Amino acid sequence: MKKVININFHGRVVPIEETAYDMLKQYVESLRRFFAKEEGRDEIINDIEDRIAELFSETLKKGSTCITDDDVNTIITSMGRPEEFEAEEASVKSQLSGEGAHTSDAGYQSAATDTSRGRLYRDEADKMLGGVCGGIANYLRIDSSLVRILFAIITFGGFGAGFLLYILLWIILPSRALERNVIRKRLFRNPEDKVIGGVASGLAAYFNIAVWIPRLIFAFPLVIGILTSIMRNAFWHFDPFPSVVFGSFGGTLFIVYVVLWAVIPEARSASEKLEMKGEKVDLNTIKNTIQEDLSGFKTRAEKWGKDVGAKAGQWGKEVGETVSQQGSRMSAEFAAAGKKSGRTVFSILGVLVKAFLLVIAGVIAFVLLMTIVFGSIKGFDFIPLKDYVLEGDVQNSLVWPTIILFILLPVIGLIVWIVRRLMKVRSGKHHLGWIFGGLWVVGLICAITLGVSIGNNFQRRVSEKYPINLVQPSTQTLIVKLGDVKGKYYPYRIFDDSHNDDIFMMTEAEDSMLLKDVSVLVARSDDSAYHAYMIKISRGSSLADAKIKMEKISLEVTQADSVLTIQKGFSISKDTKFRDQKVAVIIEVPVGRKIKMDESIEWFNGFYLDYDRGRYSELAAYDKSTHPSWHMTSNKDYVMTSSGLERAEKDKEETEQGEGVDVPGTKSKEELRKEIDEQQKELDKKKKQLEQSDSTYKYKPSTVRDDANDDAGNDATTVQQPQAQKNTKPAQHLIIGDIMMMRFGS
Amino acid sequence: MPRRPKPTQTNIKQKIKLQVMDIQNTQSQMRKGVLEFCILSIIQQGEVYPSDIVERMKAANLHILEGTLYPLLTRLKNAGLLTYRWVESNSGPPRKYFLMTDKGHEFYTELEKTWKELADAVHALTQPAENTNSNLNQ
Repeated sequence: MKKVININFHGRVVPIEETAYDMLKQYVESLRRFFAKEEGRDEIINDIEDRIAELFSETLKKGSTCITDDDVNTIITSMGRPEEFEAEEASVKSQLSGEGAHTSDAGYQSAATDTSRGRLYRDEADKMLGGVCGGIANYLRIDSSLVRILFAIITFGGFGAGFLLYILLWIILPSRALERNVIRKRLFRNPEDKVIGGVASGLAAYFNIAVWIPRLIFAFPLVIGILTSIMRNAFWHFDPFPSVVFGSFGGTLFIVYVVLWAVIPEARSASEKLEMKGEKVDLNTIKNTIQEDLSGFKTRAEKWGKDVGAKAGQWGKEVGETVSQQGSRMSAEFAAAGKKSGRTVFSILGVLVKAFLLVIAGVIAFVLLMTIVFGSIKGFDFIPLKDYVLEGDVQNSLVWPTIILFILLPVIGLIVWIVRRLMKVRSGKHHLGWIFGGLWVVGLICAITLGVSIGNNFQRRVSEKYPINLVQPSTQTLIVKLGDVKGKYYPYRIFDDSHNDDIFMMTEAEDSMLLKDVSVLVARSDDSAYHAYMIKISRGSSLADAKIKMEKISLEVTQADSVLTIQKGFSISKDTKFRDQKVAVIIEVPVGRKIKMDESIEWFNGFYLDYDRGRYSELAAYDKSTHPSWHMTSNKDYVMTSSGLERAEKDKEETEQGEGVDVPGTKSKEELRKEIDEQQKELDKKKKQLEQSDSTYKYKPSTVRDDANDDAGNDATTVQQPQAQKNTKPAQHLIIGDIMMMRFGS
Repeated sequence: MPRRPKPTQTNIKQKIKLQVMDIQNTQSQMRKGVLEFCILSIIQQGEVYPSDIVERMKAANLHILEGTLYPLLTRLKNAGLLTYRWVESNSGPPRKYFLMTDKGHEFYTELEKTWKELADAVHALTQPAENTNSNLNQ
């Protein structure tokens, strides 16, 4: 499948394949060059073009839709190539000498008769910077790309030595338009088939291997390196490849790729493209040609050495004049090369960025893929759990389609896409994509349905408080510790490392699961006795369902005098299902008594009680009366005070000083009551006193005249006639006055 | 500025090529000699367009490339020996039909004479036994 363009060729519109057009253009160019000196050049070319146009229209009339490469080739063959033209000898020579070196066929017949020694030049025609490598390649009869690669290696490896050498050669060697003397397949980058820069496909075309092979070679160590580093971080024990081999290797190949990209030219013109794909070259022929080249290399190298020596001597003489000449020439060339390499540098940057981004995208996709793949592999571990979550036929039947369509399908799709991309398989129909997409949507619907259905199972919550029978301990302290359960439960490890605690435990038969969502709370008792309660919480699809599930929770709590043992988990069976069941064990401690949590209690996954919204209504009552007890440190005594739970050993100094003191710093209820009583008594007393003194004063006025001299008699007569005095207030004033008068009078 | 190309390095391949080319060179020289004359004789017989000329020469077993023909025709036209006229064709672009001028006719007559002499001479030289016999006989 080739691009076809329309050209206006001598007044006619001709549809022609792009590559054929390139060939035609080149042919006409070569003709133009050939006839450059000819007088009637334009006319000749015009005539030839006319003839070609005629042939085109004949071809199209025969039924072709467009002019193809083959058509153009036939036409060129029949018209003849410039070097095949017979003309007067003098004109031939002059014409051939004027022509550049761009034809790709064998050398010129007349010009090749001389047999003198060849010399090393810079190649004007085959240059990337200054044509040094092209000239060397021409001299040594090898591909210029190889020379460039060699120079690049010397430059990078020898800390810029290659660069200096290059500059030196640039100055020394004169440039010339050198002919291509050996037609062999040349290494090009293939711009038609490129992912990043076409390096891999160029190499593939040169060595005649499938395209994905060099691609894979470039990509493989890099990917493996990334993969192993991911593996090493995610799964601690999984380290199949030694990082020494692959870690730096991938990076090296990446650099190699960039170097190759810079050095190998792109096959732009049709002839270059043909050359790239050209004759079938396989490794044997390459080997042979390299061997040929190498055998001649030695002799040529010697000659070159002599050349350089002679040239250096000559140059020494010509230094004065040539330096200025060459200086100006070089600056011009540098400018040109600078512009070109400036563009090249930018395009190198562009390629680097593109490569980098592509690598990153590839890595992300790969990581996702690996995650899903390994996740699904590991996910098989979760299968027994499925029975604890799913309930009912609907859910069970939805699970498998969900897993397959929703999760595995993208994985499969991604794998298929990658493989197809690598194999460069192209299918015109996008059926596959639609099928995958459709199935995935179905999986999505299943997943959503399943999710909603499972969510329904958890929508209602029920909690209930059950009393625990508690015998008062004989000592001051109640100790709470963990106890074993009946039945053998094994830890259910999901990841093969010890970083994850056992989330839950299961029996061997996987028919019963042990949950440890238990919180132990301490609150203040309202009376002087210890109490204990168990609050069970469960979810369910309806209140009744939740209640059933809740009642099935059984957590055993036993007591042995001052030690309270709580079973280390409660079990749920497959029938009961997992419905986010939790248990809170509340222990009420009376004021003045102590409690201690054994460190084994830390085994429990205490759950956070959401006080603010009153989610756990049963527990809300305990909010105000106590500090949250999960601040408690294990193995330490705590004592309950009127203001909450406090560390028993906190006030160490006081205990040392006053050992006899019962409860330092606190007052018990009885004492308070005593105080209240005492104060009450005092109050009463004072009240009475008030009343008594009141009645004494009131009696006075009635006995003032009779017993004016006798103070002591006042008391005796206080009892009598108290009532009469109430009416006469002004009499009181008189009383005082009278008393005083009496005193003074006496 | 065009420069004369310096000869390339020799090796075995080129040595063989040289030997082959020696003969090809001579052959090419021989052809070139008669080419002009042949073309002129075709045109002399009537106006004709270039690809016709190629066809006729092919029929006579003297192959010529169109790329060789066109410059030759142009040169002859510039020398005044030929002229052309455009003929419209209903299929394809208009064609140049070449015809001989008077000068061309004169030129041609001269060449014809030369050719006859040459042909006889060559014929005589290439069959020495017969020639000498015939000469002797004469």
